[in-house]
Amino acid sequence: MRKRGLKFYSSIYRKILIQDLKSKMSYRADFIISTFGMIMTNLSGFVTFMILFHNFPVINGWDYHHMLFLYGFSLVALTPVQCFFDNNWNLRFMVQSGDFIKYCFRPVNVFFYFMSEVFDVKGLGQLAFGIGTIVYAWIKIGLPLNALVLAKLFVFLLTASLFMIALMNFAAATCFWIKNSGYVMVIMFRFKDFAKYPSSIFEGIFKVIFTFLIPIAFIAYYPSLVILSPDNVPVLSWISPLFGLVFFYLSYKFWMLGVRKYDFTGS
Amino acid sequence: MGNEAVVMTNVCKDFKVLNRHEGLKGSLKDLFSRDYKTVSAVKDVTLTVNKGEIIGYLGPNGAGKSTTIKMMTGVLEPTSGEILVNGKVPYKNRTENCEHIGVVFGQRSQLWWSLPLIESFKLLRDLYMVPEKEYEEMIELYRSLVDIEPILHKPVRQMSLGQRTLSDILAAFLHNPAIVFLDEPTIGLDVSMKSKIRELILGLNKEKNTTVILTTHDMGDVDALCRRIVIIDKGTKIYDNDIDHLKNYFGSYRTLKLKLADDTWEEYLIDEKTTDVMDVIMEKQKEKKIKDVKILEISTEEVIRKIYEGGAK
Amino acid sequence: MNPKRLIALTRGGIMESLYFRLGIFVTLFANLIYLVLVYYLWKAIYASSGSDVVNGMSFSDTMIYLILATAIFNFLEMFVVWDMSRSIQSGKIILDLLKPMRYRKYTFWSYTGNHVVQFFLTFVPTFIVVMIVTHGAIRMGLNLLWFIIAMIFALIINYNIEMLVAPICLFTESTWGINIVKETIVLLLSGATIPLAFFPEKARMVVQYLPFRAVYDIPLSILLEKSGSDTWLGLLKLFGLQLGWLVVLTVAGNLFWNHAVKKITVNGG
Repeated sequence: MRKRGLKFYSSIYRKILIQDLKSKMSYRADFIISTFGMIMTNLSGFVTFMILFHNFPVINGWDYHHMLFLYGFSLVALTPVQCFFDNNWNLRFMVQSGDFIKYCFRPVNVFFYFMSEVFDVKGLGQLAFGIGTIVYAWIKIGLPLNALVLAKLFVFLLTASLFMIALMNFAAATCFWIKNSGYVMVIMFRFKDFAKYPSSIFEGIFKVIFTFLIPIAFIAYYPSLVILSPDNVPVLSWISPLFGLVFFYLSYKFWMLGVRKYDFTGS
Repeated sequence: MGNEAVVMTNVCKDFKVLNRHEGLKGSLKDLFSRDYKTVSAVKDVTLTVNKGEIIGYLGPNGAGKSTTIKMMTGVLEPTSGEILVNGKVPYKNRTENCEHIGVVFGQRSQLWWSLPLIESFKLLRDLYMVPEKEYEEMIELYRSLVDIEPILHKPVRQMSLGQRTLSDILAAFLHNPAIVFLDEPTIGLDVSMKSKIRELILGLNKEKNTTVILTTHDMGDVDALCRRIVIIDKGTKIYDNDIDHLKNYFGSYRTLKLKLADDTWEEYLIDEKTTDVMDVIMEKQKEKKIKDVKILEISTEEVIRKIYEGGAK
Repeated sequence: MNPKRLIALTRGGIMESLYFRLGIFVTLFANLIYLVLVYYLWKAIYASSGSDVVNGMSFSDTMIYLILATAIFNFLEMFVVWDMSRSIQSGKIILDLLKPMRYRKYTFWSYTGNHVVQFFLTFVPTFIVVMIVTHGAIRMGLNLLWFIIAMIFALIINYNIEMLVAPICLFTESTWGINIVKETIVLLLSGATIPLAFFPEKARMVVQYLPFRAVYDIPLSILLEKSGSDTWLGLLKLFGLQLGWLVVLTVAGNLFWNHAVKKITVNGG
């Protein structure tokens, strides 16, 4: 059997991506409206945030600029899931209609092949929003700027996005067992709105749940502490990259298990 | 490894289904019910397909045809029994198995919806790692068999159903697979498109010695393509032999057509072993006036119908 | 319109919703988790503010408001935009149009069954939990009746907003974009994410008169006896606002839909 390594997969992804972008150009109205929608959601997020701070200047010991940093951090961390894993939203329709079977007939990884089909450009708008917010908060807080900090920022942003991707994989894969799983994805996507608040707000058993079971604490809070309070980084922050990889791997396995278990009886 | 493309031995496939109750009350009850029943989609099927063969895999709706094909492609795991495709167990080596098979599943296009066909071809070439030279040769072969120019640069979503099916079949053969599964490839197509597609399948089978497993409800497909047919009903194989053998078996059957006074035709299927055709004509003539008489050999369609209704083993 | 037919459709919808049983349990569970998140966030917010009442809303007011808003969100959730764009793409819309019932009416009543199920499975349990946790902070009086009436209006208004937005898919092929714009606007301006009471004065003046408020804020205000709904005049004002928008949106929805249908029949779907 011919080997298919990382080089093969990245070259295939690039080729599919280019074709996908080319064909997207033919749906101009969709592109404009979707971009507008993306800007709207981000604006609405900001407005909610501003209204909250208009009423409550400090939340759980976090002031406006620190919260803003956390917010920007969560926005950037959400970009990969938006850009590369957006096809998860179509999964349940494909599974229900039986169209999903077509992904099983190719000599490549099903998960890869399925995700490669959609690249969502508008996620880049969110990225710009997030970076802008981080930069603004960075300056206002007066954080140091050097190569090491930037490298850390990069690694921990990546970590945070791994968690988000994993959460959405889990949510999407429920459709292999549950028939109307649309709501699971919707609510999981709404859970992420809470990632932008410090997870020190949780207490007792729920602290454990939101850290390890539904790890929204890792979508922004723990990874960002590495940058925000470099003198006092919790252990959980340091091990978050490893934990993120494990969590992502588990979600991938769960997704693939769904493919194996699914009986493809959809007509 | 011998000459077999597919070997199935005592293959069974069961599905677990919740027993549903009727009505609004039943729906509420089902919410907590754990009352499952097992449905056997495929029961103890043993089957060998040789390399280069085109076999017709037939059966009424819900007979278990698709389930069998899904097992052969490695998508489903059999509950029991053994399947070997190209000498390997498909569901254990799904990716590897996919290298050597091609699939066209009904009206579901597997191509990239908004890409021109040629771009889909190029992506497939890369996915299957087809060497450039073989790819070029294949495209040349396609050109010689069918007029592909008009569809090559058209996005799949803008194609007619016939063009889409044609594209899907071409895409399934592109990596020169050992076996191609065609699930109702001519469904919903017009007469000329049907014959075009049949010619294409025959041509590719001849040129590349590709094994073709064809499921269809269209006996025209069977007549044009298959020498051997396998019939499955309620999950059990009920017939597996040459199509000629089948016709011989039903050789004593004749279709009698009578043209009546009002220019309409009446049809009767008669077994000459038990009934004499002339007797029937005489009998009918007593009842009504007959303007014309035709006696025909039994058609494939009628043979298959006879088998579905439980006429032969 | 034959009421028997409407009941049949509602019944069908209920049975269809129940059919997906695992989904129902997951929905209930996911909802619970979401409520916990809301609880901790606002607990922290109020703890940090130092005062018990902000903008006339106490912690328990805000909690009840947001929890019930979530419950209403689930209860009102419709996928009309998605469903319609899918049937347009697949051509199924033609079949729907051929049904012996006006399409708008048909869609509405087929969703009703789902609404009924959601009402009992998400709204009622949430309401009971809220009552137990807050030791009966919601007064059980006439306000309950007014609330139910306001909810029915809200349901119709919400449906009309959906039906105004959904046909845009016919013209643009952009389901995701349209849906996200609609959802964002509705959730923010209706007070579902953050109570309208917290909005800055000027913004509130504008938002107050928009139709979105009629979906979440008005029913909840009536239930909690806020926004002047404890007086007859105030109550009448709120209902008047709902009714006004209901009429405007229904008419607009009808006109727009008829226009859109023409496009389907011309293009053949």
